Amino acid sequence: MVILALFTVTVAFCGYTLILRLQHDARRRRWARLSAAWEGPVLRALADANLAPRVHEAVDPRYRLHFVRFVLEYSRRVRGKERSALRELARPYLAPLAERTRSRRAEVRVRAVQTLGTLGLPDYEREVLAGLDDESPVVAMVAARALAREEFPQHAAPVLARIHRFEDWNLRFLAAMLAAMGPEIAAELRRNLADPGRPSWVRTVDAEALRMQMDPAAGDVAAALLDAGQDPELLVALLRLLEVVGRPQHAVAVRSLCDARHVMVRAHALHALGVLGDEGDVPRLLDGMNDASPWVALHAARGVRAAGAGQILTHIATSGHPRALLAAQVMEEEEAA
Amino acid sequence: MRELLWDAVLAFNYVVLFYFVALNTVYLGTSFLAFGALRRHAMRMKSLDLTDLITSHAAPPITLVAPAFNEAHTCVESVRSLLTLEYPGYEIVFVNDGSTDDTLARMTEAFELEPAARIPTAALPTAEVRQVLRSRRYPELWVIDKANGGKADALNAGINLCQSPLFCAMDADSLIEPQALIRIVRPFLEDSSTVGVGGILRIANGCRVERGRVVDVRLPRNMLARFQVLEYLRAFLSGRMGWDAVDATLVISGAFGIFKRSIVVEAGGYATDTVGEDMELIVRLRRHCAETGQSCRIHFVPDPVAWTECPETIRVLARQRDRWQRGLLQSLVRHRVMLFNPRYGAAGVVAFPYFFFLEMLGPVIELLGYVSFTALIVAGRADLLFVAAFLCASVVLGMSLSISAVALEELSFRRYPRFLDLLRLFGIGLLENFGYRQLNAFWRLRGTISALRGVQGWGIMTRKGFLMSDRETAA
Repeated sequence: MVILALFTVTVAFCGYTLILRLQHDARRRRWARLSAAWEGPVLRALADANLAPRVHEAVDPRYRLHFVRFVLEYSRRVRGKERSALRELARPYLAPLAERTRSRRAEVRVRAVQTLGTLGLPDYEREVLAGLDDESPVVAMVAARALAREEFPQHAAPVLARIHRFEDWNLRFLAAMLAAMGPEIAAELRRNLADPGRPSWVRTVDAEALRMQMDPAAGDVAAALLDAGQDPELLVALLRLLEVVGRPQHAVAVRSLCDARHVMVRAHALHALGVLGDEGDVPRLLDGMNDASPWVALHAARGVRAAGAGQILTHIATSGHPRALLAAQVMEEEEAA
Repeated sequence: MRELLWDAVLAFNYVVLFYFVALNTVYLGTSFLAFGALRRHAMRMKSLDLTDLITSHAAPPITLVAPAFNEAHTCVESVRSLLTLEYPGYEIVFVNDGSTDDTLARMTEAFELEPAARIPTAALPTAEVRQVLRSRRYPELWVIDKANGGKADALNAGINLCQSPLFCAMDADSLIEPQALIRIVRPFLEDSSTVGVGGILRIANGCRVERGRVVDVRLPRNMLARFQVLEYLRAFLSGRMGWDAVDATLVISGAFGIFKRSIVVEAGGYATDTVGEDMELIVRLRRHCAETGQSCRIHFVPDPVAWTECPETIRVLARQRDRWQRGLLQSLVRHRVMLFNPRYGAAGVVAFPYFFFLEMLGPVIELLGYVSFTALIVAGRADLLFVAAFLCASVVLGMSLSISAVALEELSFRRYPRFLDLLRLFGIGLLENFGYRQLNAFWRLRGTISALRGVQGWGIMTRKGFLMSDRETAA
């Protein structure tokens, strides 16, 4: 009996696999046929908006959602006006997806939110905004990424208000998402960064986003927050921000961290000092090149180069100095850049 | 006395029976888990815009560390393929591990290498590094020329020069698909506690390779290679996917895995005194994180693909399996403190015991089972009906598990587009039970004995190279 049952299971697996293959082949053929039928009218409609009705004539009511998928894939390859035109083409077919954002299955919800976020804004704003509070973190992230776009600055506030939901995500990834919302949110990012009541990881994300935006006004905020008592990751983010947008007057605050115990804080402080400091800081940077940590030594050497003391590095590189290799590396980096 | 002996043989058969049930229960369990996980993964991938991720500032820089020993035939083509990966910021560190052929000369000529300065950012002990070179044509390509020290040693030399937060450990002769990096990095973006991610290894034998890319996937003609195709599908799609679903991944293939550099350096890098340095690192990372109170996630993701060439001769395959078994045994014995230890989570309570009792001791039990069955039959003491039923069940169950792996492939990636290849995979699922499985058990038993005798070393792995694969398919 057991063997018979096992044999039946094996045959069932074979049958299932064959059915999957046949189904897939049929789907692939259908998709190829539909894509071929839609591609021409869609391209013509992109060139001339008056031809959009021709596209709708080519969409069989049975395949409306297939058409949405086709447009979605196309829209990933284009930007600006063409993407707006694709949104217009998809608009009449999006209603069923609004229903799917309430599905019990997270995978269905994530797909629906993603499609509406790409093709359905601002019409389906409510559904996408609701996605921010979805129990699934993936749905929430897809909603946040859809909303975090420069063309929809009004969505910055709800996204920033829910950033705490994404604590597990990579900080740089979150910062890139916020930076994508453009300079309109910079003021709010600066306010959040300065707020000591917010978790330090959120402020780290704010600082990184401001760095990616190269926000000139963020330098003063960052310099005011430099305090050895802060979270090291936040300090590193602040120093990286100052490396990009800082001014010479911020060097005073940076100097205080050049002897920090945390390796990466010390390293970035030395680099930032090279960018913001003056000639008087070069001996300190040269001293940093002898730090026991290779990261500190490397950043200090880059600091020397940023301070305009490249000739000293060249001299070290060509002498028998124990840091000759380090100096040579940094000079080669400059040449490669 | 003789009766006692026969009683012992009979009792041992119950051990074999228990082993058989336990092993297949685990296989069925992981297949079942993999089924759900792959469905979720497929849906998830549909909602992900990879091009958006590629252009994003978010993509963390990666250093590909490719150790090579006597890879003159394949190194240039492999590195050319690595240079065309779709990822915004990556470097390649090719480590020439004391090759005795003209690997370095070919690399120097093809990529215009010249001496370059680069300080180490870590101090993992390695064999002497003779020089560091950089390509004039491709500034992202670095070459370390060092004295021979083995793969783990070469990886450590690469890690020492790595300046990015992530590094990718790979084989210099494997072909990584263009979007593999962007796919494999995803778990690092979604979960900041991720320290390691493994991709899937697929077999390139029989496939058509053009300019370092697999352009036409088909089953190899060589029967041994075909068996291995099915084995890899089972191991990755049913096994690793299933273990990943319960956060108990204990193996990331040395041919394609990506790691957080800082934690690997903190844990001491790759162990150079084992031949299973890939598994040993994962087990050690799990242990290190648990013992230092760090949150640590290690994942397997099934869509980033690295293509590799598998052995096509009994001799080379036997050597490979012998080495794998030795590596497994060395890792498990070294970290035996994890056995059934809840401190290490599901990895310690479920995965480690599985590898320890079923994978490590399995070949011993399986082969002794064949011997004791035969002895009982010859002595006329076996219930022939039971023996026949048991063997029959073993074959049918083995076939069922193999075909379920093919079903998982069909459900998710469908890399073998020819219908005939699909049918062939079914056939292989049956055929492998008659000879190949037993041979495998024998090689693994030999590996166990070698490990107990303290045998070290990789043995020679002969490869044809992907160019040969081009010619073979074109013929």
